[in-house]
Amino acid sequence: MNLVRAELLKIRTTNTWWIFGLIALPLWALTLLVNWASSSALLGMDPNEPGLDADQAEQTRVAAEAVNVATNLYTSGQFFGVLVVLLLAAIVVTNEFFHQTATTTFLVTPRREAVVLAKLAASVVLGLIFWLVTTLLNLALVPLILNALDVGVQLGEPAVWRAIGLNALAYALWAVLGVGAGVLIRSQIGATITLSTVYVIGFLGAATVFALLTPRIGDWFGNLQVLVPPLASQLMIAGTELPGNPPRWVGAVVLIGYALLAGGLGTWITKKRDIT
Amino acid sequence: MTAGSEEIVVSHLTKHYKKLRAVDNLSFTVHSGRVTGFLGPNGAGKTTTLRMMLGLVQPTAGTATFGGVRYADLDRPIRHVGAVLEASSAHKGRSGINHLRVICSAAGLPRQAADEALARVGLTPAAKRKFKGYSLGMKQRLGIAAALLGDPRVLILDEPANGLDPEGIRWMRDLLKALAAEGRTVLVSSHLLGEMQQLADDVVIIAAGQLIRQGPVDEVLGSMTGLSQVRVRTPQPAELAAALSEQQATVAALPDGALTVTGLDAAQVGHAAFKAGVELHELTGERADLEQVFLQLTAGKAGIR
Repeated sequence: MNLVRAELLKIRTTNTWWIFGLIALPLWALTLLVNWASSSALLGMDPNEPGLDADQAEQTRVAAEAVNVATNLYTSGQFFGVLVVLLLAAIVVTNEFFHQTATTTFLVTPRREAVVLAKLAASVVLGLIFWLVTTLLNLALVPLILNALDVGVQLGEPAVWRAIGLNALAYALWAVLGVGAGVLIRSQIGATITLSTVYVIGFLGAATVFALLTPRIGDWFGNLQVLVPPLASQLMIAGTELPGNPPRWVGAVVLIGYALLAGGLGTWITKKRDIT
Repeated sequence: MTAGSEEIVVSHLTKHYKKLRAVDNLSFTVHSGRVTGFLGPNGAGKTTTLRMMLGLVQPTAGTATFGGVRYADLDRPIRHVGAVLEASSAHKGRSGINHLRVICSAAGLPRQAADEALARVGLTPAAKRKFKGYSLGMKQRLGIAAALLGDPRVLILDEPANGLDPEGIRWMRDLLKALAAEGRTVLVSSHLLGEMQQLADDVVIIAAGQLIRQGPVDEVLGSMTGLSQVRVRTPQPAELAAALSEQQATVAALPDGALTVTGLDAAQVGHAAFKAGVELHELTGERADLEQVFLQLTAGKAGIR
């Protein structure tokens, strides 16, 4: 517990967390506006419009269900929110090497696995704070948007609350991924650039590749896109099962798998490595 | 810990990198109540040795113990051993006092230990200033404050005089001597030999990863009689030179008329003069200093490996 408190104190006593928070806020506002616009477009769409094949028509119909429009809006900000948490969690580790504080840290606590666990715990707390703030903002603003869309606030739907809860899990798991990534890429700048590039480009690139290749190779290939971490975390927070997609729990399992791998590998490497 | 149990025992410590034996079967003992200087040319393996002793670098072989216990096995180690390894080891955007509070928090020490340690090194006025605004000397002081947080019985410092001005060096010398006088074990690595001669009671000299010599400073200096000189003044220099040359001593004339004799100590020179019936006006033994001894001992072993 002392160690987790110390890690949280480390975060609190530098500027990084609130600078990242300031970056996250406009990004959250942007995604909320985009989701508003796309919900409005979706609700205005006619599933029986010519030009859509049967699958696409079905997907459009389900996505336009009130509960799915609502969950999408109530979890606004996840795409960039988890990216910010990922970077902050990586910096929790890379800071120690960038500022050469790793020496002091491991002198105070020679059991290095305890240090990594404390960093994981502190980063998860940080991730949940980001989740909490965006969720409270969403709960305040989204009912207004839903009313404007004539959908109703939907807060009586268990699916909405489940999505909000799974969104918290997503923030926590991305924090774990960040700590693991920070151990693997010790350079502060290297980690920040690599992770944000891989996250954004990887997401767009994977989405494009799957969109292009799935019709040629088959639906089973399309289901593999759940292996791409940002797609997995988006799948987790869908309101209901979406046709043409793997079930939600698969998204959670994939993300937990990555988190365990990153956390475990990070701990193991930290234990072996010489601190010079 | 009981008194006298804070000895540091380094035993067959070895670190091999791919092609380099950075530290090679190194054994030495550091006693409590004394300041021990840890000397060696650049690249001799001093820092690697200190880092292995503290569990930061995994030794290829060998152990280091503090009162019989390895660092990693100590219960709350910073209460036993305080270490200052790098001057710049704090987050640049964090204030000095917060740097210490983080350590207190992780080690389960009370918060006011941070304020006390900061006061002890004279940094209280800069407590809330960010680390990047500290001078090199202030950074060294903060590092020492961090090492003193747990009131440890053993202190290990790697080049603590780096970047200190003359007043800072004197402050450091007084502090380390005072800590040793309280019965603590103090191990200081340095390449400032003049400073070490004033500070250290014992020395451990290594080169190329191997132990060259260890022991009390006086003993190490005294063992190098080949380097000590005797200054002698006489109205009969030719007779004295002849008498001394018979004993394989080397005699050189100084511009002021005095002679320097190498190879004999003052008593031997005085005895030779007495037997030869030569009148002496001055007879001074000039012992080799640590720098001469160090250079002699590490000759040919220094440099890039």
